[in-house]
Amino acid sequence: MLDNIVTAIEALPDLSPERRAALAALLRHGLPSTQDEDWKYTDLLALSALTPQDIAPNIDTHEFPEGYDCGLDALNTALAGGRQARSIEGRVELDTGRHGRYRLTVTDDAELLLDDSGAARFATCFLAIELAPRARLRLTRVLGADAEAHRIIRLKVSVAEDARLDAVTIDLGGRFVRHDLDISLDAPGAAATVHGLYAPRGSGHVDNHVRIDHRAPHGASRGFFRGLAYDRACAVFNGKIVVHGHAQKTDSELRIANLLLSKRAQINAKPELEIYADDVKCAHGATFGRLDPAALFYLRTRGVPEASARALLTYSFANEILQHIADSALRTTLTGRFLERLGGDIDIGMLR
Amino acid sequence: MLEIHNLHATIGEREILKGLSLTVNAGEVHAVMGPNGSGKSTLSKILAGSEDYVVTSGSIRFDGRDLLGLSPEQRAAAGVFLGFQYPVEIPGVSNMVFLKAALNAQRKQRGEPELEAGDFLAWVRHRVKQMKMDPAMLSRGVNEGFSGGEKKRNEILQMLVLEPRLMVLDETDSGLDIDALKIVSEGINALRAPTRATLLVTHYQRLLDYVQPDVVHVLSGGRIVKSGGPELARELEEKGYGWLDAA
Repeated sequence: MLDNIVTAIEALPDLSPERRAALAALLRHGLPSTQDEDWKYTDLLALSALTPQDIAPNIDTHEFPEGYDCGLDALNTALAGGRQARSIEGRVELDTGRHGRYRLTVTDDAELLLDDSGAARFATCFLAIELAPRARLRLTRVLGADAEAHRIIRLKVSVAEDARLDAVTIDLGGRFVRHDLDISLDAPGAAATVHGLYAPRGSGHVDNHVRIDHRAPHGASRGFFRGLAYDRACAVFNGKIVVHGHAQKTDSELRIANLLLSKRAQINAKPELEIYADDVKCAHGATFGRLDPAALFYLRTRGVPEASARALLTYSFANEILQHIADSALRTTLTGRFLERLGGDIDIGMLR
Repeated sequence: MLEIHNLHATIGEREILKGLSLTVNAGEVHAVMGPNGSGKSTLSKILAGSEDYVVTSGSIRFDGRDLLGLSPEQRAAAGVFLGFQYPVEIPGVSNMVFLKAALNAQRKQRGEPELEAGDFLAWVRHRVKQMKMDPAMLSRGVNEGFSGGEKKRNEILQMLVLEPRLMVLDETDSGLDIDALKIVSEGINALRAPTRATLLVTHYQRLLDYVQPDVVHVLSGGRIVKSGGPELARELEEKGYGWLDAA
């Protein structure tokens, strides 16, 4: 299944020994299969549909590592042409719609926008972000990719003492998408809040795996996720909280709510808790539903046509997440795009 | 204005309305009273277009049109309003957005232009004041976290904003303290007009002290079993509903 990828990389001019090593590591490790629990619902065989042109690796511009811990890691490095390391502060934007590999450090206060407008058919983008003690990062990741986009995005965030991550992730498109968000609360007082919305449509497949590790006492995490699936789309969500042995006084909450908007759509969502400390507060829950018929009827008795009533209720479900996008211009744009796809004649002017 | 003729309706296997007939003329206020389970709420919901019930026979005409052939939204645009016994909470949709969506959707269906934002705001704010509600409620979710009384007040606020021609109020008085009952009654009375009609569905007489009905009907066993003037309501309050079954 890796033929197309090997062909694309080998077609690069002046293939460096480092690049060859990454490719060799990829072939040695292989890619995860649906036998792996973490990949149960997402089959990487989908990548074999890509042509070597679709795969479009970057040329070598950055550092290559000594070794690789898994096939995907090697794949990303081989495609991205190495890794960029930099420190960020203030407002920074990165395009995750092309192959990339980054190591970012935040020592003070930063706002990071990971945007993917979706022009490329395939992109892998792996980011490792380190928050220094007392640092603060507001992270927004948006996937508005078109219906044919294939994406593998991995974000690892480590949070030091009294540092804080506030993240919002929005997935509105794509054909085959896998996102991993790993957050490690490494020191006392580290905190993370994540709001996520995933809304695949058409025959899109969007898989989000979120994992939060509490590795030190007095850490706090909040995860609020909402999913909706239209048409024949498939959404996968796995949220895992791990409280390690000495992470006493951990305060954690994970809520997942899902809305099925079509009979043929499917959502596989699961919260998981692993707790190895005894003095902790961990709450979690997952719900699945359809639009509330009583609310629909109520809106219709006030004169709102059925299609608009459905759109308004769907919007209100999603807005519980959308409203957390800090950048108001971006929030307006994404809300508008979301409403447009709902149809039902509800526009953003009406919601002001 | 409203003519209900020999209406039969079921929910699941159970027949709730068993030949109900009722006529309400423009300008009139009618009260429909009756014991629990007599079919009062069923009647209200069927008038608004609920799909929970199946009308098996009979007819409902509103201004001569076949009401049963219209969707709930078409009925609303035609001027039918139901004040819910249990108003629904819609977190995430603010009262303001809800009112704007409703009013503009009705106007659109009637071929009228949408209201300018400023005019709409003035229109709503005036009525919020009239209902003695906190304007801050407009930015809260529809009925979200409202007390029972606040929800009922919100129903009347919606009614004042939408200015319907037939007001069907299902147990709007339940759960109201005396001050709220007065405010709600004033709201209802403010819309009384020769071109409008009101159907008050209630279990108790006390609302009728504030909103004087022209006709009082007793609904029992899915049919109107007795009709009379306002004095009938007081008689029911004294004697209960038991004597009707005996009669």
